[in-house]
Amino acid sequence: MDSFSPLPATLGGLLIGLAAAVLWLGNGRIAGISGIFGQLLPPTKSATWRLVFLVGLVLGALGAAYVVPGLGVGGPGGRTAELATPPASWGIPPLVWISAAGLLTGLGTRIGNGCTSGHGVCGLARLSLRSLVAVVVFFGVAIATVAVTGIV
Amino acid sequence: MGTAVELRRILVAALSGLLFGAGLYVSQMVDPLKVLRFLDFGAIPTGGWDPSLAFVIVPAIVVMFVAVRFSRTRTAPLFDVRFHEPELKRIDARLVGGAALFGVGWGLSGICPGPAIALIAFMPANLWVYLLALFAGSWLGSLSLPGRRDKALTTA
Repeated sequence: MDSFSPLPATLGGLLIGLAAAVLWLGNGRIAGISGIFGQLLPPTKSATWRLVFLVGLVLGALGAAYVVPGLGVGGPGGRTAELATPPASWGIPPLVWISAAGLLTGLGTRIGNGCTSGHGVCGLARLSLRSLVAVVVFFGVAIATVAVTGIV
Repeated sequence: MGTAVELRRILVAALSGLLFGAGLYVSQMVDPLKVLRFLDFGAIPTGGWDPSLAFVIVPAIVVMFVAVRFSRTRTAPLFDVRFHEPELKRIDARLVGGAALFGVGWGLSGICPGPAIALIAFMPANLWVYLLALFAGSWLGSLSLPGRRDKALTTA
């Protein structure tokens, strides 16, 4: 349990909730990253705010790493960010592993209309039964996947 | 809608994105290995489990829940004519199948779309490969959606 960090986790969660609240009350939009990202693809009438949001997402993470350095990964004094690697005994090249993860995530969030933010944060907050089903499925499958790969 | 309102919408999107990115760093959900340590329920008996992710998502939901309750008393958001609430209510194979595919991708990598994009700030090796694959997957998924229906679903 050495990596458990309830205080930064809660503060970060409040910031994420505030971000979703601002976008909802200001623009009436759901802060679902897979939706904002996926609908950059043409044809779209609303690429500008989506791009601005995503640039903000990157700059917000970068800025916070300078304001509150050394919380873990990223920024000055932080550890170098690393992607997960496949279990050594499986003999799968890391690039194939990471490509498969990205492809499945892009495909799944598009077909299922949402990810951790859209279904998880916003959908559950709207008391959407659809989102609850999605959340139970993707958490359950992700937990099962980690149990199978044992990569932690 | 004039350009002044359009500009305000852009500023709101910028503020929301900045807050979201800051939240992902502060909570350390940008660390794929930390997310994987949450998903590793097998470590619960041995004490190696990291419950942090639950401490992130619950307060986020509570804040958004209050905002949604408040919005029910209004007819429109500040800078648009209506709330763009996802219209689809159906629980079907697309929803469950899509969520399951996403669950596999998330379990393989410990990253979901928000942290994946926020990680551009810290540029781990091979992130671009992941992002290209994410984009390709999302595009493939959009091919299977009829245009009209896609519009009705919009952003969830």
